Amino acid sequence: MPTFVYMASCDGCGECVDICPSDIMHIDPTTRRAFNIEPNFCWECYACVKACPQNAIDVRGYSDFAPLGHSVRVIRDEEKSTIAWKIIFRDGREKNFESPIRTTPWGSIKSPSDYEVPSQDAFKTQELAHEPETLNIDKLPALSPDQLKLGVV
Amino acid sequence: MFTSNPFAELTVFLPPRAMQVYIVLMVLAVIVGTIADMMHKSSAKYFALRQEKLKAAATRQLSRADKASLALKTLVVEVASAGEFCNPQRRISHSLMFYGFLLYLGMTVVMIFGYPTHATPTPTIIPLLWNIGVIMLLIGGYWFFFLLRVNVAKDGQPMFRLVPADLFIVTLLGSVSFALAWEIVQTSGDLVATRITFGLYILFTTLLFCSVRWSKLAHMFFKPVVAFQRRVEEASGASSLPATRNQRS
Repeated sequence: MPTFVYMASCDGCGECVDICPSDIMHIDPTTRRAFNIEPNFCWECYACVKACPQNAIDVRGYSDFAPLGHSVRVIRDEEKSTIAWKIIFRDGREKNFESPIRTTPWGSIKSPSDYEVPSQDAFKTQELAHEPETLNIDKLPALSPDQLKLGVV
Repeated sequence: MFTSNPFAELTVFLPPRAMQVYIVLMVLAVIVGTIADMMHKSSAKYFALRQEKLKAAATRQLSRADKASLALKTLVVEVASAGEFCNPQRRISHSLMFYGFLLYLGMTVVMIFGYPTHATPTPTIIPLLWNIGVIMLLIGGYWFFFLLRVNVAKDGQPMFRLVPADLFIVTLLGSVSFALAWEIVQTSGDLVATRITFGLYILFTTLLFCSVRWSKLAHMFFKPVVAFQRRVEEASGASSLPATRNQRS
């Protein structure tokens, strides 16, 4: 179910552009609102749906469970830390699913852009940027070179 | 400098009647541009169609008092405090531009029509408010242009690569920047520099008001209507869209 943006609801804050791991959420040059430039490449992680403060991003349901006349609505509730899915079928039936999606308050996690750009030396390590301190541990478990000898591990 | 009517000084080379005719022409340009924009996007047609659909889908009828209350909420939240923006910096920047523009435009009209020459002395407060409006516009506008434009801040586009969405902000900033430059230069008494800065001011102002068909200027008229409409849809149970942040509050 690839995502799409309701232009009337989007305020062009760019949260979805920041968070999209496929880099397919972009800003329209005429309206300065977000849009999904390539729905085929959407891997349906719904990070943008969850990140949108205006509930302006929704998903297109697949025809097997949500045929013509359907609607799938995603409702993000910051206070309850939930995402609710509301599916309205063609015959008017509604199904609501509510999922807790996090255990920490909304907005309490630092944005990736708030971190410093890693140094050139950081690229030479096996660790990802700002590991291990962002994982709240002193050191990542790793094999030392002598443990990599044939037959030792 | 900031307490004298800059338009009264212009009568050295420009008759007041010409300035008044120019204002009327610009008002007409905005009206024509907005109508052309509506025709191009068929927005009025789709708005009427949507109204019909929503009437049929409404689960509850709204009274006049309900609608008045929704109109008031729209006026307070969306119009007066730019409540549709979730980013507080954008709200402040937009509010500076909005109120700055109202002050600047209102005082321009008052000075040109009410106090066109030195024969009718302008109360000090009017040019002062005009200057406050210009400065508010410049702060809000340049803040938005350099730091808050989402295609630059989030989408990684180069700052000076202009896109169609920039037409409004660029012409607006050009207009008020040269308005201030012209006012300052005019007080120095250099007639050539005054004419050049005034010419650039008029050029950008004409572009601002004559480009409504392509720019975002008409959002001033469309946005409150759409915001009110969405509140009505939500309240009457006809909306199929998820409630926005403002509607939930």
